[in-house]
Amino acid sequence: MKKSKNLKWLLGTGLMATAMIATGCSGEEEASGDEEGNGEDTATEESGGEGNVLIYNSGNPTSLDPPIGNDEPSYAVLNNVMEGLTRLAKDEATPEPAMAEDWDVSDDGLTYTFYIREDANWSNGEPVTAEDFEFAFKRLANPETASPAAHHAYWIAGAEAFNEGEGSEDDVQVTAIDEKTLEVTLENPVDFFTSIVAMPQLFPVHKDTVESDDSWANNADTFVGNGPFVVSEWAADEYLLIEKNEDYWDADTVQLDGVEYVMIEDANTAYQLYGNDEIHMTGIPSDMAGELVGGPETIQYPRSGIEFQRFNVEMEPFQNRNIRAAFAKAINSQEIVDYITQENQPVMTGYVFDDFQHPNGSTYREEAGDLHEFDLEEAQELLELGMEEEGYDELPEVNLTYSTGDVNHNVAQAVQEMLQQNLGVEIGLENQEFAVFLDAQRELELQYSRSSFLGGYNDPMNYLDNFTTGNPMNRTGWSNEEYDQLVSDSLAETDPEARFDLMIEAEKVFMDDYVIVPLYYYNTTFVKKDNVEDVVRHPVGFVEFKWASME
Amino acid sequence: MLKYILKRFLWMILTIWVIVTLTFFLMHAIPGDPLDMGDTGSSDAASANLAAYYNLDQPLGVQYVTYLKNVATFDFGPSMTSRSRDVNDMIESGFPASLQLGIASLVFSVISGVFLGVFAALRHNKMIDYITMIIAVIGISIPNFIQSMLFINYIAVNVDFFPIARWGTWQHVILPALALASGPMAIIARLTRSNMLEVLTQDYIRTAKAKGLTSFQIVVKHALRNALLPVVTIMGALTAAVLTGSFVIERIFSIPGIGQYFVNSISNRDYPMIMATTVIYSTILVVMMFIVDILYGLIDPRIKLHSKED
Repeated sequence: MKKSKNLKWLLGTGLMATAMIATGCSGEEEASGDEEGNGEDTATEESGGEGNVLIYNSGNPTSLDPPIGNDEPSYAVLNNVMEGLTRLAKDEATPEPAMAEDWDVSDDGLTYTFYIREDANWSNGEPVTAEDFEFAFKRLANPETASPAAHHAYWIAGAEAFNEGEGSEDDVQVTAIDEKTLEVTLENPVDFFTSIVAMPQLFPVHKDTVESDDSWANNADTFVGNGPFVVSEWAADEYLLIEKNEDYWDADTVQLDGVEYVMIEDANTAYQLYGNDEIHMTGIPSDMAGELVGGPETIQYPRSGIEFQRFNVEMEPFQNRNIRAAFAKAINSQEIVDYITQENQPVMTGYVFDDFQHPNGSTYREEAGDLHEFDLEEAQELLELGMEEEGYDELPEVNLTYSTGDVNHNVAQAVQEMLQQNLGVEIGLENQEFAVFLDAQRELELQYSRSSFLGGYNDPMNYLDNFTTGNPMNRTGWSNEEYDQLVSDSLAETDPEARFDLMIEAEKVFMDDYVIVPLYYYNTTFVKKDNVEDVVRHPVGFVEFKWASME
Repeated sequence: MLKYILKRFLWMILTIWVIVTLTFFLMHAIPGDPLDMGDTGSSDAASANLAAYYNLDQPLGVQYVTYLKNVATFDFGPSMTSRSRDVNDMIESGFPASLQLGIASLVFSVISGVFLGVFAALRHNKMIDYITMIIAVIGISIPNFIQSMLFINYIAVNVDFFPIARWGTWQHVILPALALASGPMAIIARLTRSNMLEVLTQDYIRTAKAKGLTSFQIVVKHALRNALLPVVTIMGALTAAVLTGSFVIERIFSIPGIGQYFVNSISNRDYPMIMATTVIYSTILVVMMFIVDILYGLIDPRIKLHSKED
């Protein structure tokens, strides 16, 4: 039996070679394919043998070029092989010096001067310069770069106009004063700009490399980074190995010899590999959440992001505030978390993510207070009131639309049942394929729809901005002058506490109008081996191995 | 013969052109934006710049001409989901794995399918026949992803010889190839059996028996050749399906093949990748059908290789 399989493998490989020649693959590519195979063997042996390479399951990075990647798997790697002007600290999500050892802010809060550390170097040995940052920021905003993340450059004066094809590159207010001094002038005096420059979208790039090689970010040999680790091997769709960067300015802090990102898409397979000690850390299969959450090897990280539902205020019956509020108050999010998602997600009591830091040291939610709760009696009263206002004897037909998926389906069914039991309202359910669904939601074709938002940067503005008039994330038809005014006022406010007061005010206006049904805040759940410590993951950041260790 | 081949070749080109054209207009007709950033937020300008980058801002006719050029030169440009990688690179790096898996499972399914089919026919209505056909029914009716999960959860986890998942050594091929092979094996076994049963009752077989040939000689030299014709017919489509990878099997066993692209490209509306997978699949399919036609002539000399006008 064994022999025949051996034979088959040989036969298979032989036939494959023939077929590859026939399909036009050159001999060179065949050879590189072989190298990849060998590479994997060594990587697996090393990690099994030495034990200080953490094996982490992650998706396939779509690009290691900072303005292009723009997704979780890409930035999970980039965050560890590159570094921005600042980096979010180990214990809290506050920016601390990284490539910049210090910075000054002008009195009007508009001009930032960053001093780049002398010992900041690229992995090719050249110094990280202010010019690299200037080049990278302008590249992010450049319409020809066509970065999906370009809006993160809009804080810089002139960047938005440049990206819209109206301004010019020279008008983007970022300048290298000398080799190690960078000056950035902002559009608004936002004090969270030091958090913005910690984001992978605003990582520097090595100017000469990017200018001379279009495909520099596509493989391990040509990639130039400046982070705690360097990329040493990359076989697309299989694994990516990073190793400790001995020349990193803070190399003493780095404990691990390296991290091997493996790309196992199927959560169940990954969990089996984890059980067999072939992976040290991975996400969990969603159907095992109830069993694993709270277990000894499970670790949960809060994630800036929300699960909610949008009302279309241009469609009946949701033009009426009280009917919207009745729906929202009749849905018990705690039950959804307890019985369906089972990942201990915190129930939303407002719209903005709870944990943003308030300038006075407490959190955003502590200052803003709870703005929403499940309230059966009030919901029934509100429905009655709303129907009276609109002159309805019977509520117009309501359909809840969601994108196809097990969890979405189960949540929608639970909501359908809660509305039936609590309000006596029968709603229909409809599911659509994700891309079709997004299109329809954007075009305001859906009456009542499942929604989610994944936060990007470290400030409540990340949320509040979404529901300003005409924002691409709005998708409800809702427009409120007072709200728009409060949001733009808060952007112009230089005093940190006053700025938060304005944002809190804006959130109250928004929540009081019940444009959404708040459900729950996200978190991410992993299983990790006992000896894996200090893998950091901030609510707005990406996974950090700088401080991680494995005994 | 040469004229026949040339004619068939031109028909193949025409077929592929029709498929490519239909796919192009169908994929642009379905709703959904390939560059939609979904739930992470973005700006309208950034979306417009991206559309310009991929020439999606041009009229459909212009895009169609560009696509035909790309298809003709086998250069599909950058993927819309992984922009740093060209579709060609993605296919080239994933194809060997799919091909290895596909060939392994094809070889297994053909050999065991024909063997089981012949065996069942020779022992018609005996215990072995029933057992073989039960195996065949199970092979068809248990979906291969269930088999894969059973293999992983019960075999790979307990037997060190079999890796749970991933790719790189010949041991990695066995379980996924078995899972992928069981369906085709069952189909081939049933087809072979029913054809063998029919062939075995024919006069020339009786003649062969009367001449005193051994049953081995009768089966291999005379009966099987005829019985295999229908099997060869389905081999074209089967090979194309198996060689281009399996989304489910590759995903469950974490094999870096191209099967994922056939499914993901469509849900992501990744136009260049949709075109690439379409061209690859249809080319292999059309070429395999052509080879099958040639094989007919070799297996059964009664089938002449020329078109009616000749």
